[in-house]
Amino acid sequence: MGGFLLRKAGAALVVVFLSSVVVFIGVRALPGDPALALGAENRDPAVLAAIRQAYGLDQPLPVQYVKWASRALRGDLGLDARQLPVGHTIITRIPITLELALLAVLIGVVIGILAGVIAAVRRGKLSDHAATTSALVGLSVPHFWLGLMMIIVFAVDLRWLPASGYVSFHEHPLSNLEHLLMPALVLGTGLSAVLMRQTRSAMLSSLTADYVRTARAKGLSERSVIAKHALRNSLITVTTVVGLQLGALISGAVITEQIFVIPGFGRLTLEAVNERDYTLLQGVVLVAATGYVVVNLLVDVVYSLLNPRIRVSGSNTP
Amino acid sequence: MRGSFKRFAFLALGLVLVGALTAAVAAARGTKSSASKIRNGGTLTIGLAEEPDALDPTIARTFVGRIVFLAMCEKLYDLDSHLNIVPQLAAALPQVSKDKLTYTIKLRKGIKFNDGTPFNAAAVKTTIDRYLTFKGSVRKSEISPISSVDAPNATTAVLHLSAPYSPLTAQLADRAGMILSPKALASGGSFAQNPVCVGPFSFKDRVAGDHITVVKSPFYYGKAKVHLASIVYRIMTDPSSRTQALRAGDIQVEDRIQSTDVPTLQKDKSVTVSKAITIGYQGLTLNLGNKNGLLKPYSTVDTDLARSQFLRTAFDLALDRTTINKVVFGGLNQPDCFPIAPVSPWYKPSTKGLKCNLHANVDLAKKLVKASGISSPSVNLMLGGTDPVTARLGQVIQSMEAAVGIKVSVTPTQFTTALNRADAGTFDAFAIGWSGRVDPDGNIYGFVSTKGTLNDSGFTNAKLDYILNGARKSLTTKSRNTLYHAAMQIIHAQRPLIYLYHPVNYYGITKKVTGVQIFGDGLIRAQFAGYAS
Repeated sequence: MGGFLLRKAGAALVVVFLSSVVVFIGVRALPGDPALALGAENRDPAVLAAIRQAYGLDQPLPVQYVKWASRALRGDLGLDARQLPVGHTIITRIPITLELALLAVLIGVVIGILAGVIAAVRRGKLSDHAATTSALVGLSVPHFWLGLMMIIVFAVDLRWLPASGYVSFHEHPLSNLEHLLMPALVLGTGLSAVLMRQTRSAMLSSLTADYVRTARAKGLSERSVIAKHALRNSLITVTTVVGLQLGALISGAVITEQIFVIPGFGRLTLEAVNERDYTLLQGVVLVAATGYVVVNLLVDVVYSLLNPRIRVSGSNTP
Repeated sequence: MRGSFKRFAFLALGLVLVGALTAAVAAARGTKSSASKIRNGGTLTIGLAEEPDALDPTIARTFVGRIVFLAMCEKLYDLDSHLNIVPQLAAALPQVSKDKLTYTIKLRKGIKFNDGTPFNAAAVKTTIDRYLTFKGSVRKSEISPISSVDAPNATTAVLHLSAPYSPLTAQLADRAGMILSPKALASGGSFAQNPVCVGPFSFKDRVAGDHITVVKSPFYYGKAKVHLASIVYRIMTDPSSRTQALRAGDIQVEDRIQSTDVPTLQKDKSVTVSKAITIGYQGLTLNLGNKNGLLKPYSTVDTDLARSQFLRTAFDLALDRTTINKVVFGGLNQPDCFPIAPVSPWYKPSTKGLKCNLHANVDLAKKLVKASGISSPSVNLMLGGTDPVTARLGQVIQSMEAAVGIKVSVTPTQFTTALNRADAGTFDAFAIGWSGRVDPDGNIYGFVSTKGTLNDSGFTNAKLDYILNGARKSLTTKSRNTLYHAAMQIIHAQRPLIYLYHPVNYYGITKKVTGVQIFGDGLIRAQFAGYAS
């Protein structure tokens, strides 16, 4: 087990190193001189030279990389164009996006599974058609449109919810929920549509399975058959889908955060690209890449704990 | 019947699920707010269209940064509503020596920085020295003629110049005139993370990408005029979200409403839409001599527009500025032909007698195309952006030029990449704007003088250089007006740039708030605003 973990951790380190190189070169491959972007309207050669010097852009690429990587290893991702520490900015943004994504999952799971079960149980009836059509609409409607519509209805016309912004949970829990409800609903809509279709499909298979027929023959109530036998088996597929969709949700949060002006990680990435803020962009992409590598490493470890064959097949011993 | 009702109930339940969820939360708090009855106090939230960069005037570059600085960093000089320069921290306009090399600035007494330390001439010297010597200073180029600063006493600052430079006072009415607390500078921390100046508000906090908060300063000399307890600048880069936030009451002031949202807000009874014709402009830079790159030796480039002045005139005459404004911007901008805006006191004297073609003159343009001797002239127009509005501008210009026989191909280009190409000289014509400066020098010199750092046109004209350098040395308004008028005649005839319009910015302000001012510089002045009773 120790050897397996060492091999996996070593591979993860190599991936993080390669990611950092790709990030560093990729950011610099973006078209346009970053000094021009940072200089705004000031294109005085002396000013541009000062900007290049201040950001180390006047040095050879390998030197720039070594300086940046050595600082990053010490946890210092540098100062962005606003002269604010990149590491601190990222750390404050990540929990916001995670909170939004988790709330969206919660909404997606509740609506999706409920609608999926009802559609399967009432197959071919009006409620099935309504749920299936709603799922199709939910998958088709773009997030930005849905977001704006919700803002107009619930914030502008009804004044029930704030149109934008974010309040942290520890600052004001209720206000936190108010600010995140609409964005989470927007983000959760797509997920609920996917889950509805998956649940319906899995439930339809389960409902015709032998064990369900047996349960009915034993005289169990229909509610008990659906909840305790058919749904429980169907949830295996649904759980896998939720796991797969979580990554997509975090990516999808970019648009939602932009519309609802939520200072999350997605919006930070967008800002960094738009402003050609090299230091910020490098930090954001490096943290995201490292996050994926660490999560994958953890998954490998968990799999190996659950299934010993994985760590045996992954070893060098015959 | 019972089954139908059940189905209906089920569907209704599904449809109202979303609404019920939101209503439940709202009901728990009662989100409808009533108007405050007090004049003093309260927080004003302004939705900014972009995020300010560093909150250190030494290195700050962004337009929105200037809006935030207005609340917490006063300057030696300011602008009045007619864009005239007036004293702010200075007691009067500077006294200039006969050789124009010494500026003596008397300072106001009894003023304190927002950390409680005194504002004096030593602070002016410390700040300007920092602007001139700080690594990465953006201010250095704006006040580079200053060779040294003296502080003979607490209320007198003396600036020594290496060469006469009449735009200096205007520079001191912008970020170069913001005086920083020496104590804060000496603390060793990042000034941008905790800026301290003289101002009605002092810096409280900043959450990157989200907001900046300033609170009423107890040290401000005019604190009786300050009504608000705090101002929050929220970063809201999506224009639709900004507008909806204003309508929902999340923000009270909206920075630069997008043109498509203006009619909606004009119909909203709770909002006032204010407009400001800005001192900036949008135009087309024509590459006439930028063959080797910006500030490299200029020589005529091998393009149709560069070869023939007739063709350039025809190109200009084919443009119907009124139609462009109508079709592309819904009639919301101010069509014009000059780099100085009509709101500037310099406009009338410098453009007197010069004809501006707001409508196309197709017949004359066709004759000039013929007179140019260039058969089937073509122009590649590089657009400094890839957004739909800029694309529409390119298409309209393309169709107007086609009517006179000039074939225009349009290349939408990401802004920074476009700047790179412009500086390298790899373009025929470039659609780009300028945010504008109060002093005419800031709108002309850099773009058309041979040594101009923004002269992407590669335009060089000895007579124009002589005139513009003379205008920098001249101190009287009358002589400068005469010189800028002469300069405008050359620019208007040679057309290194074709000016199209001055942007008109629209701002949304909730009617609960009074005292928000917007001048021609386009900055939101909310430091003395307050909630109406």
